[in-house]
Amino acid sequence: MGNAVFRKEIQERLSEIKEADILVGIPSYNNARTIGHVVKAVQAGLAKYFPYKKSVIVNSDGGSTDGTTDVVQNTTIENFESILLRHRNRSFFKIASPYLGIPGKGSAFKTMLDIANALNAKACAVVDSDLRSITPEWIELLLKPVVRGKFDYVSPLYQRHKYDGTITNSIIYPITRALYGKRIRQPIGGDFGFSGSLAKFFLTKDVWETDVAKYGVDIWMTTTAIANNFKVCQSFLGAKIHDPKDPGADLSEMLYQVIGATFDLMEAYADRWKTVKDSEPVPTFGFWYTVGLEPISINLDKMIDKFRLGVKDLMEIWKTFLSGEIIDFLHRAEGFPKERFNIPDEIWVEIIYGFALALHKKAINKEHLLKSLTPLYIGKTASFVIETWDSDAHEVEEKIEQLCKTFEAQKPVLLEKWT
Amino acid sequence: MFQRVITEPFERYYEKLLEFLPGFLTSIFILIWGVVLAVVLRIAFLKFLRAVKFDKFSERFGIMGQLGKSGIKETASVLLSRMIGWVIIFIFTVVSLYALNIRVVDGLLDRFLFYLPNIFAAALILFFGYIISNFMGRAALIAAVNAGIKISNLIGKLVKLTIFIIAVTMALEQLGIGKETVVIAFTIIFGGIILALAIAFGLGGRDIVKDYVEKKAKGEEKKDDINHL
Repeated sequence: MGNAVFRKEIQERLSEIKEADILVGIPSYNNARTIGHVVKAVQAGLAKYFPYKKSVIVNSDGGSTDGTTDVVQNTTIENFESILLRHRNRSFFKIASPYLGIPGKGSAFKTMLDIANALNAKACAVVDSDLRSITPEWIELLLKPVVRGKFDYVSPLYQRHKYDGTITNSIIYPITRALYGKRIRQPIGGDFGFSGSLAKFFLTKDVWETDVAKYGVDIWMTTTAIANNFKVCQSFLGAKIHDPKDPGADLSEMLYQVIGATFDLMEAYADRWKTVKDSEPVPTFGFWYTVGLEPISINLDKMIDKFRLGVKDLMEIWKTFLSGEIIDFLHRAEGFPKERFNIPDEIWVEIIYGFALALHKKAINKEHLLKSLTPLYIGKTASFVIETWDSDAHEVEEKIEQLCKTFEAQKPVLLEKWT
Repeated sequence: MFQRVITEPFERYYEKLLEFLPGFLTSIFILIWGVVLAVVLRIAFLKFLRAVKFDKFSERFGIMGQLGKSGIKETASVLLSRMIGWVIIFIFTVVSLYALNIRVVDGLLDRFLFYLPNIFAAALILFFGYIISNFMGRAALIAAVNAGIKISNLIGKLVKLTIFIIAVTMALEQLGIGKETVVIAFTIIFGGIILALAIAFGLGGRDIVKDYVEKKAKGEEKKDDINHL
């Protein structure tokens, strides 16, 4: 994959800027509706909390056709006095550049990392361009632990709707915690802070032609930071409210990229996670508060139907690598009525570890294997929704905690079978 | 008189026998060697295929599953090594037949050997066609299930069958069997299937489509707003 800094227009801009203390990256693709707000929040955050630092905002765009890059170029806070008591001392620099390589978020990150490296940035942050709830404080919370030199990686901590981020809650958070022993609640949150040295370390890895170039980049960054012993913390940012994802985005493709990247990292860092026992909390910053969240519409009947269809038609594939006990359970679960539909945590953990082992042993083609997980994941999500329908945020968090403990408790079985 | 009528034919027969016998013995010798070599190479290939985990590879592409379904209990490595053994025996049999030095047999063998590359190419086409049809059939099945299509199984099977039929058509064309006839027959059958499906879906699915469009228009279908990431 090419390096964006070799492009003439970027080189000219870089030679003009020379060096930077802080770089904030905003990857985008057709986010004209929300990116203006994100750019303003970033500018205000930099002005308010880092007035004496030389800062650069980089927008790495995937070829938007809705004028996203124009919005970025034209967005600026006209009157800082309305948001600041003291006037900012240094001006911002802005770079808007289309990224190179495979279309995806990871490729956008690579461009930002290249620019951060060229400018020798000391601290970096990336924020999603579809955010509606971002405030200037996010910039402080993501960057300050790094600027003060105490941490290399800042993961976000949000308050989200109980049914928002279900891949995170049912797979990525529990398995990352069980494997690497760090309780990072939002390992694929999308908004991160990291040090210049970690940015340079990321660039030493040759992963930009893999799933990391797409949705897999978030889990790759988090796992790379933990597994290589960089100092990791998390910051509470408040509510995460964002534009709904593209309805055309294929769930099975998303699962394939995120879970694929997670399982690939299991291969790469097997020696690291095999030695980890239990898990520990990581330092957490920010002031915790409760916020009201927008309700989410859920079609449970459709979800259970998809699970049943999967059990009916994909059983022959699952039989080749899942245990007889799981297969028997799935046959029974196919007949559960909606009100009693349930996939217990123990079964779910065994399924996920079973898929990880099947990929490790190359039982079937990787794409077929991971995409065949979709109906089971939808079934587990439906089960989670039914179980927590009347639960408040605290009770839901308790439920996720129980799932995490089950992942940790069954880790020795995974270890035993991982040869 | 006696010598001319009785002895000479025997002498001629004896001469012919002497002429034929070395070739025949060479032929037997080559054949025995072929069998021995086939056994040795079969065992060697079996060990090699097991060492490179060929059975796992076959399992990944669904070959083992299909063999099992057809009632074949042996593993892919056993089958392939056995096939290699038979190919060696076949080659040595051909060479041994040449050693007999019979003109008619030579002519037949020449024609057969000239045709042999076509058989080999056709077998290769069938083999890869089978692997690709399994792979694509499974991909289509998973995609259809994930899209929530009720007839996913049928779609998977249709994709698999279509690709395999294409492979068979190509193989038959390679063998030169009814070149145009095969292509025309395939076009007619395939076109017929598509037309039949189009009519079946058109008539059978009319009400379903009507319901779906009505629900969409009235906004009756409950949406899913879950953000998975």
